[in-house]
Amino acid sequence: MKKLFLGILVVSMLAATLLGCTPKPAPVVKYKVGMVTDAGTIDDKSFNQGTWEGIQKAATDMDLDIKYLKPAGTTEAHYITEIDNLVAAGYKFIVTPGFKFETTIFAAQTKHKDSKFVLIDGSPHAGDWTSVVGNNTVSIFFAEHESGFLAGVAAAQQIKTGEFGFIGGMEIPPVQKFNWGFQQGIAYANKNFGTSITMKEENVIYEGSFERIEAGQQLAATMYDNGVKAIFAAAGGVGIGVIQEAVARAEAGKEAWVIGVDVDQYAAGIYGTKQDKSVILTSAMKYIDQAAYDMIKAEKAGTFPGGKTLTFDAKNNGIGIPKTNPNLSAEIQASVATVFAKLKDGSLVVAAVQGDLIK
Amino acid sequence: MRIKLSKDSILSLVAVILGLTAGAILMRLTGNSPIEGYRYLFSGGAMNIERIGNTLATATPLIFTGLAVAFAFKTGLFNIGASGQMLMGGLGATAVGLTLAWPKPILLTVMMLVALFAGGLWGAIPGWLKAKFNVHEVVASIMMNWIAFWTVYYAVPAYFKGPFLETESRRLPSSASLKVPWLTNLFQGSYINLGIFIAIATIIIIAFILDRTTLGYELKAVGHNKHAAQASGINVNQRIVLSMAIAGALAGLGGASFYVGFASNMQIGVLPSQGFDGMAVALLAANSPWGVFSGSIFFGILHTGKGFMNAMTNIPPEIADTIIATIIYFAATSVLVERLWVRLKKKKILRFLEKSDVGAGGGE
Amino acid sequence: MDYVVELLDIRKEFPSVVACDNITFQLKRGEIHALLGENGAGKSTLTNILFGLYQPDSGSIRLRGREVSIPNPNVANHLGIGMVHQHFKLVHNFTVTENIILGSETTNGLFIDLRSAAARITELSNKYGLNVNPHAKISDVSVGMQQRVEILKMLYRNAEILIFDEPTAVLTPQEIQELMKIMKNLIAEGKSIILITHKLKEIKAVADRCTVIRRGKLIGTVDVASTSQETLAEMMVGRKITFTIDKQEQVCGGSTLVLEGLSVRNNNGVLGVKNLSLEVHAGEIVGLAGIDGNGQVELVESIIGLRKVESGKIFLKGHDITTLPIRDRLNSGVSHIPEDRHKHGLVLEYTVGENLILKIYNQEPFSRRGLLQREAIAEHSNRVIQEFDVRAGQGAATSARSMSGGNQQKTIVAREIDRNPDLLIAVQPTRGLDVGAIEYIHRRLLGQRNKGKAVLMVSLELDEIMNLSDRIAVINNGELIGVVDANDTTENEVGLMMAGIKRGAMA
Repeated sequence: MKKLFLGILVVSMLAATLLGCTPKPAPVVKYKVGMVTDAGTIDDKSFNQGTWEGIQKAATDMDLDIKYLKPAGTTEAHYITEIDNLVAAGYKFIVTPGFKFETTIFAAQTKHKDSKFVLIDGSPHAGDWTSVVGNNTVSIFFAEHESGFLAGVAAAQQIKTGEFGFIGGMEIPPVQKFNWGFQQGIAYANKNFGTSITMKEENVIYEGSFERIEAGQQLAATMYDNGVKAIFAAAGGVGIGVIQEAVARAEAGKEAWVIGVDVDQYAAGIYGTKQDKSVILTSAMKYIDQAAYDMIKAEKAGTFPGGKTLTFDAKNNGIGIPKTNPNLSAEIQASVATVFAKLKDGSLVVAAVQGDLIK
Repeated sequence: MRIKLSKDSILSLVAVILGLTAGAILMRLTGNSPIEGYRYLFSGGAMNIERIGNTLATATPLIFTGLAVAFAFKTGLFNIGASGQMLMGGLGATAVGLTLAWPKPILLTVMMLVALFAGGLWGAIPGWLKAKFNVHEVVASIMMNWIAFWTVYYAVPAYFKGPFLETESRRLPSSASLKVPWLTNLFQGSYINLGIFIAIATIIIIAFILDRTTLGYELKAVGHNKHAAQASGINVNQRIVLSMAIAGALAGLGGASFYVGFASNMQIGVLPSQGFDGMAVALLAANSPWGVFSGSIFFGILHTGKGFMNAMTNIPPEIADTIIATIIYFAATSVLVERLWVRLKKKKILRFLEKSDVGAGGGE
Repeated sequence: MDYVVELLDIRKEFPSVVACDNITFQLKRGEIHALLGENGAGKSTLTNILFGLYQPDSGSIRLRGREVSIPNPNVANHLGIGMVHQHFKLVHNFTVTENIILGSETTNGLFIDLRSAAARITELSNKYGLNVNPHAKISDVSVGMQQRVEILKMLYRNAEILIFDEPTAVLTPQEIQELMKIMKNLIAEGKSIILITHKLKEIKAVADRCTVIRRGKLIGTVDVASTSQETLAEMMVGRKITFTIDKQEQVCGGSTLVLEGLSVRNNNGVLGVKNLSLEVHAGEIVGLAGIDGNGQVELVESIIGLRKVESGKIFLKGHDITTLPIRDRLNSGVSHIPEDRHKHGLVLEYTVGENLILKIYNQEPFSRRGLLQREAIAEHSNRVIQEFDVRAGQGAATSARSMSGGNQQKTIVAREIDRNPDLLIAVQPTRGLDVGAIEYIHRRLLGQRNKGKAVLMVSLELDEIMNLSDRIAVINNGELIGVVDANDTTENEVGLMMAGIKRGAMA
C-alpha cells in the first residue's frame, strides 16, 4: 500500500529540499518591471500584447529588466501566486491587464506594501465592488464607448449601406461599452453622414470567453452567411477567430470586414497573394501600451500617481482609431478626426450605458 | 527502516524521472540550465510554508479528479468527464453557499453533500447510458462535460452573478468557504483549505472500499473481466452505473474543493483543467488511491513552482508550459515504461524473431 | 538406414526455459512417425525448427542424408516439407483450386492458368483418394474437406515430408477414420508423415513409430505395434496413468434439470438452439456431444442465465428458472465450469484465493456487513487448494495469471464443485490439459455423479463423452438429434448422429 505514496513524495520533496535552497537574489542593476497575463496568450493581438508592448517600449527607453508570467488558471489564487513569484524575484513594479485582477490586486496591494501595481481596466476591491485603491496602486480605465463610437463612425462611412455585427468576449463592462459606443457611432453616421448601416439583435453576441478561437470563427461564419458585411470583434482570442474567418472569405473573393479592438489589429488581418491587403477596416483602440508606458515613466520620474484612478479617453488621447489604414479613405479619416475633436472638447458625448441599445 | 517499493511505484518513479529528463533536455535545448530550472521549479513549490500550502491547495482538486478517474478505471471505465462533474459539484456547492445562511459547519456539510450528489448524477448518466444502450462512456462523458459547461454558463449569470460582472458568481461569504483562518494563518496566508483534509479522508475511504469491501471486490472483478463477473452473478450493468456515480461524486467533491475552497466564486466559460490532469494523475498512480495522492502532490509542485521558475530564470512562460506538459506527459506513461520493461526482458526472443524475419526475406 | 529427415541433437532455449534439450528425431521414408508429448513438452518447437520458423541453438538437420539449414518456411517448402496446421490457412470465398495455387500460381501470359491447375488437383485427389472437388468454394465445404484441401496444397507443391499438427482436433469420428485412410494412402505412395498428437488411440491406429518427449527432453522412440497405450502414456506423463474409469452402478434420482422446448438465439440473431427438450437426472452424467458450434454454447449460456431464452422453459428441481437472474440460479444450486476459462472462468488479475470466492464472496462468513472477511477467505482458500490439489506457488496469494492452464482449470473445478451443486454444467472441462489433469478432473466429475448430483458435460472429445457419460445427448445444428444410453451405443453411432443422422435412419 505504500506504493507511490512514499515513492514520488520522497523523491519530489527530496528534490525540493536539495535543489531548493533559498534563491539567490540576482544583482539589482536594472529597475524591474513585471506583468501577469490574463487568460489568453502574450501575443493575443489584444490586451496582453498591448500591455506588454508598452512595457517593452519603456524597457527600451528606460533600460529596464522586464518579465511577464502566465498563471496556471484564472482564479484569484492563480493570479496572486504569480504576483508573489514576481515580487520574490525582485519585480516590484507590476502591471496587470484586465478586470479579473481586481480582487487580486486588492489582496496584493496590502500583502506587498513595498511593491507598486498598475491595474488596467479595473479597480481593486474585496469582492464587494467597493473600490479601495491603495497608495501603491493606480487603477486605469478607458473610455471604450468613445473608442467604439469612433470605430463605428469610420466603418459606417466606409461601407455606407448594409448590416454590421458585434462579437464580444465576456459580457463585462469594457466589452459592453465598446458595443454600446459602436452602435451609437453607427447611428451618428447614419444621421450625420447619410450612411445606412443596420444592426440586428441576433448579430450582437457575447461568446463568453476570450480564448476560444474556433468559436469566434463559427460565430463569424454564421454572421457573414446571414449577410453581415463587417463585424466588430471585441473578444481577444475569439476575435482572432473572427479575423481568421474573414481572411478565409476575403481570400475566396467574398466581402468580409472586421473592426479590430484594443490595439491596431491591421496586421492580424493581412491576406492576398502579395500580403498587401487586410480585412481590418479599422480598430477601436485603447492605448493600453501608452497607459503602461506612462505609468512606468511616472514611476521612474518619481511621480507615480499611487492611490488614484485614471481614465484614458479622448480628452487625454487615451483612445482612438489608427491614424493610417489603407482601407479607410483620407476623407473618412478627416471626418473621424473632426468627430474626435468634438469628443475631446466635450461638444459630443457618448453614453457609457446600455439605454435602449442592443445588449 | 527498509522501504520496499512495489513494481507499480518503481515504474511510476521511472516515468517521473523520464519526464524530468525530457524536461531537462527541453530546457537545455532552449538555452537554459536544467539544474537551475529545476531548483527554482521545486523551490517554487516547496521553499516555504506558504508555498507548501499552495502546493497542497493546488493538489487538492487533483486528488479528487485523480481518484475519480482511477476509481472508474478499476471497473474498466474511462471517466473522461471529471471536468463536467467538477463543474456540477462546484455549481451545486456554490448555489447552496450563496443561498443559505446557516452556521458554517452545517452549511459546509450540506454544500459538500450537494456537490457529491450533483457530481454523482453527472457521472451516473454516462454510466446508465453505457449499461442501458451501450453508449461508450468516453463519448457520453465528453458530452456531459459540455452540458455542464453550458449549464454553468447559463446558471451563474442568471442566478448567482454579482452586481457588475456577468461572467462570474458573487463571492462566497466566508461562512460558505472551505478556507478557514487558522489554516490560512498556519500556512502563512496560503490558499490551503479544508479540502485537503476531505481529500485525504476520501483517499482512505476509497482505498478501503476497493480493498476491503464486497463492493470493491465486485467493481474490480467487473473491471478486470466483466464476463467472469457476470457469469458469477454480479450485476455488471448496475455496477457500471454505481462505479460511474461514485467516480462522478468524487469529481463533484473536487469541484467543491476548487470553487468554494481554492477559488471563492465560479467563473463561466472555463472547463476546469483539473478534470484532465486527473487522468494523468491516475495514470501515473497506476490507479492506486495513495498513488493518486503522491501524483497530485507532484503535479501540485509543478503547477505551483512553474511561475517561480519563470520569474527566476529566462525560461519564457510558454516554454515553461511545454516543459510542465512534457513532464506530465512522460510521467503519465508508466504503462509504456512497463511495456518497455517487458520488452527488454523478451529482448532475446525479439532479437531472435527479427533474425528469422530477415531470414525469410533473404530466402526468396 | 534410409532416413528422410534427421533432427540431430537439436537444442533450443528460450529465456527461462529449454524448449528442446538435445533432441534427436529420425523419420524413415514411408513411415508415419508420431511425435507425442503433453502441451508445452516441446513438440511444436521441434517441428517449427524443421519447418524453418525457428533456428536451433545447436544441432543439425539432415534431409535425405544431406545436412541442410532451413532459415524460413519457403526453404522448407522447396525442400519438400509441408505442414498442415491445426488452424487452416484458407481463403473462404476462394475455390479449392484458387486456394491451392495461392502463392505458386502458374500463368499463361497474363492469366492464371486455373484450368490446368484444376486438372492437376483432380489427378492428385484421385491418386490419394482425397475426393476433393476443385471448383467448390471453401465456405461451402466441411471442416474435414478443408483439411484435405490443406493436404492437397502440400501435395501440389510436391511435398515429400508431411507434418500434421493435431489434425484430428476438429474432426468427427468418421472424418478421423477417413483421414487415417488418407494418411495410409500417402505413405503407400512414398510420402513420409510426422504426426503431432497427444491422442494415444490415434497413434495406435495409424503410426509406425512414436517419439515421446517430455519437458523438452527426449524420452525415447518406440515401435508402436509393440508398445501399449499405457506405456506410451507413462512415457509422456512420467508416471502411471489409469485409463479405466471406475464407474459405479448408477443410482439415478429425479429430474434435476428439465429443458422444455428451448429455443435460444445465437450471436447472429438466428436460432442457435431449436426447440430442444432434455432432462438431466440426479446421479447421472449426461454428455452433450456435437461438433463445435452446433448450439452447445447457446444452450449452456441459456441455462446459466447469460443468454436470454427465446421460447421454452428451464426447470431446476421442479422450479421454473427461465427468467431468474444469474445469481439466483447459482444460489439455487447450479455450478458452471465454462468453456473458456480465461473469459468466463477466472479473473486473471485476482489471486487464487480471490477467484475461489468469486461466486460466494457476498455470503457469510466471507462477507459481513459488506466487508470482506480476510481470515475466513484465506481459511477457505487454503482448504480448497489442499483438497483439490491446486498447485499454486504462493498458495492463496498466487496470481491466477501466473498459474499453468491445468491449475487454472483445477481452480475453477475446485470452486464449482466445492459449492456442492445439485447441477454441475461442465463445458469442455479438460480442453488443452495434460493427461494427469484430465484424469483428475474426470474423477471429480464422476465423484459428483456418485454423490447423487446431476452433471451435464459438454465436450468435443468423443472419447471423453463415451467414457464418462451415463447417457449421451447429441446436438446438431441446434437440434437434439437423440439421446442414447452410453452402454448401448458405439462411437460410430454417436459420430453419425453428430453429423445429423438420426438413430432410426441408420439401419
